[in-house]
Amino acid sequence: MDILSHLTPMFFALIAAGTSIGIIFGAIPGMTATMAVAVCLPLTYAFGLENGIALLLGLYVGGISGGMVPAVLINIPGTPSSITTTFDGYPMAKRGEGERALKIGIVASVFGGLFSAAVLFFFAPVLADFAIKFSYVEKFLIILLALTVIASLCSNMLMGVFSGVLGVWLSLIGTYSITEGGNGEPRLMFDFMQYYLIDGFSLLPVLIGIFGLTTVLLDAEKGFKDETGQGPISLKGGAKFRFSVFKGQLLNLVRSSSIGTFVGILPGVGGSAASVLAYSQEKNFSRDSSQMGKGAPQGIVSSESSNNALTGGALVPLLSLGIPGDSTTAILIGAFTLQGIQVGPLFIGNNLDTWYLMIIALLAANVLMFGIMYFAIRHIARVIEVPKYILYPLIIMMCVVGAYAINYGIMFDVWTLLIFGVFGWVAHKIGLETVPLIIGFILGKSAEVYFVKSLESYGNYSIFFTKSPIAMFLWVLIAVSLAFAIYLRVRNRRQASVES
Amino acid sequence: MKAIWNKTCLAVVASAAIGISASAQAADDCPLPGNLRVVIGSTSTGGDTYQNSSIVVDRLADKLDINAKVDAVGVMPGFQALERSRHGNTVMIFHDGAYLGNLYGVNGYPDIFSKFIVGPTIAINPGNAYLVPKDSPYQSMSDIIEAAGDGKQIKVAIQPGSVSEIGFSALKNAVRMKYPGKEGNIVAVNTGSQADKNQLLFDGAVDVINGSVQANEQYTQLPADDQKAMRFVWITAREKTIAETDEAGMGDTTREQLLQYVTPNVSVPMAADQDFTFDKEFFFLYNKDMDPAAIECIDDALAEIYDEGEIQQQQKRSFFVPDFKPSQEAASYLEEKNDQYKTIISDLNG
Amino acid sequence: MESQWLSLLDVTIDFDQSHLFFPRIVTWILVALLAIILITRYRLLAPGLKRAGRVLVGREGEFDHRRFFGTLALTTAYFYLMGVLSDVFPNTGYSFLIMSVLFVFLLSLLYVGRPTRRQFVILVLNALIAPALAWYVLAQLFRITLP
Repeated sequence: MDILSHLTPMFFALIAAGTSIGIIFGAIPGMTATMAVAVCLPLTYAFGLENGIALLLGLYVGGISGGMVPAVLINIPGTPSSITTTFDGYPMAKRGEGERALKIGIVASVFGGLFSAAVLFFFAPVLADFAIKFSYVEKFLIILLALTVIASLCSNMLMGVFSGVLGVWLSLIGTYSITEGGNGEPRLMFDFMQYYLIDGFSLLPVLIGIFGLTTVLLDAEKGFKDETGQGPISLKGGAKFRFSVFKGQLLNLVRSSSIGTFVGILPGVGGSAASVLAYSQEKNFSRDSSQMGKGAPQGIVSSESSNNALTGGALVPLLSLGIPGDSTTAILIGAFTLQGIQVGPLFIGNNLDTWYLMIIALLAANVLMFGIMYFAIRHIARVIEVPKYILYPLIIMMCVVGAYAINYGIMFDVWTLLIFGVFGWVAHKIGLETVPLIIGFILGKSAEVYFVKSLESYGNYSIFFTKSPIAMFLWVLIAVSLAFAIYLRVRNRRQASVES
Repeated sequence: MKAIWNKTCLAVVASAAIGISASAQAADDCPLPGNLRVVIGSTSTGGDTYQNSSIVVDRLADKLDINAKVDAVGVMPGFQALERSRHGNTVMIFHDGAYLGNLYGVNGYPDIFSKFIVGPTIAINPGNAYLVPKDSPYQSMSDIIEAAGDGKQIKVAIQPGSVSEIGFSALKNAVRMKYPGKEGNIVAVNTGSQADKNQLLFDGAVDVINGSVQANEQYTQLPADDQKAMRFVWITAREKTIAETDEAGMGDTTREQLLQYVTPNVSVPMAADQDFTFDKEFFFLYNKDMDPAAIECIDDALAEIYDEGEIQQQQKRSFFVPDFKPSQEAASYLEEKNDQYKTIISDLNG
Repeated sequence: MESQWLSLLDVTIDFDQSHLFFPRIVTWILVALLAIILITRYRLLAPGLKRAGRVLVGREGEFDHRRFFGTLALTTAYFYLMGVLSDVFPNTGYSFLIMSVLFVFLLSLLYVGRPTRRQFVILVLNALIAPALAWYVLAQLFRITLP
């Protein structure tokens, strides 16, 4: 077979269509890249393997990228992996730099995406062999490392850590799932709750409840005073986007993209951890991180480059081990099996043409994403000019769709949205921090499985320190990460007291 | 203004009602809804349950001229949706895990034979397998049984409480029969996904893993010096099931080669003169109050589909073995199967 | 000697009870942290609660009761009725469509307060078009399961 014969206009048209639809899915709060891929999966039947893959990869890249739009413009992450984009994106939008923030995000995204595609192409088999050195113990430590970033992301250490632990606790409600190797027994709830909570709370409804509905409630409480006309945020004023903003960001770009790619490669660690890790590493190790969280371009750069780098990374175990790296690639497996293609360690060698086509599709999707978003952004950014009394009811409506559809039609997920919307409002009032809470929630379940399974296998707590050189290295990273977080906190406090 | 609003609202409701009655009439003599929801007992859209269901449901929808959609809601939400749907708007497709969960006493699994109506079987996934590292000292299941009888501990990675555990129980039972008291040497390492089971094998933490022909075949083709290389020791399907797969088999493993791993070539005894076998079968489940006419309707439609013969080709291409049995036959067959495994599991516990 | 120290760290987890192992640890950490928070901030607690109570009953602070509780009530009703209605129109998404039209309209109206004629027309059109569009694209084109 000749690869060139597959590179038809149709192939590229489908990538463009996929990318556009993906961006729209990603940009609507409540809809995610995973959902976009899932709903278009049956279409791949009609298109055949090559064109189907083109569509799905476009959706994947577009969906992850689109998540930055609501994160920047209305402070609601469109997908779990764009939580950290809100930290600096929204403050910039409030300054009237929404368009600039989005353009920075787009450039960072395309860098991350292309970086990880290159890594995938050149190193997939090698990296897969490296990834299988991570057993339960090492994976637990990676999650622990991701949890320690809470210390550098929260504004009050005690409340932040408490919120993070509370997030973990909330994620454990439900049964110890047998599909994860648990015993299927319920815990942390009363018997009468079992009917609804047997599978616990789902991540997406929790996320959009805490970010979406809570935002609506907080604004409702203030009564939309200045809201009957135009939105309070204008697109005018503030600095304009220039590529020079990336000067001095190369290290950040490469580091964040590498973290994103690597987290993607490790199956089961949870893709959303990538941007969180990358953001906190930038905060810890950059020369000047004092502006991060107040609208610094470097924050958007690290968040968006890492979450797009996830795409290539998550394809590594899929294509070289037959194991999905995240929830979206888990659905991609379906596209292959529906076409009767086996994925496993021999996939690349047996399907060289498909492999090259996937790389081309991935590259094209990133480039097209850049093209579409960069030139459409001026119009997309006008969303913040829509009055909130129009926007908010629609956001709640779309959150309902997202919550209901994420598990293919479960009404309790819609109630979860409301429960956590109200909870998020209360949390806001009593000083709990929602970002650590969500990070805890995202990582809690995997933390449990890896922790308990490690101990079941080895029967001694010391295994976490002695298992392998990788484990020891991870402890060093954890220690350094914590030390930096504390050091920065002390330094900032000193600076603050000097200034006042 | 209000009046306009009221009218529009009415119009929407009215058109909705017209829409539903129009689609409900689509299939004339079938008391099935125009929009059928098929929930499955798996949350994965990349897995065998989804794949199988979508093959069958697509053809069923065509045949009955209705809309049908497969929703990967998972086991418990699936059972719950089925329980709520008295009018047959929702049906479920699942595999043997549906009753094995109950036999293993997993929390929340009802007795499907009394709580629901068991519908037609549609296909078998013949791929349930057990694998060892390529350089493992165990060449066959007999080696493993002997080693366990000899006092050696053998760790097997499985997902508890379902299809993945039944072969493990059979192995344990075989050891118990041959070397009573030694069955404790077969140890379960409970884990989750196929990735986790593979990982345990790569780590050297287990001796045997449960896997499948589809997911693990490529690993068996790796050179022996690769850390990831594996070897089949047992495929639990019946010989006649494997014999019905395509001659090409799966990947680089031909049907001829696959047959070497099933009984009688590989023997895990269940009784003095009988080997244990397990075919993972997919079947429909209905709400207890589902209209018998609707059940019959689905039975008939499926019978026609299988008579046409195209679906078999499609199933075989995806390494499924076509296996259509109408509702009544399927129900008594599965209940028999259930009783057989019940004995093994209770023998081990008691 | 070394092995004696190590054996202190020994742990065996009974599979039947393994669902409680990690939650117990997390619960204890949570309780400990809560205790620290209460000890270090108990002075803030009583006045904080008092103030919260006053705000909620409307004695002080700026708190828009109508819009806040209206949002909660409408959202709850929206979710509840959507569930009820979806049993009437199963597997079609009509329940979502009908309830969303009502909900979007009423919530917008709640937020605007006294709309001008022009705003009212916009609200009505928005409430009709947006849910219909969402329903058509998602439920019909993409065949996403909606209530």
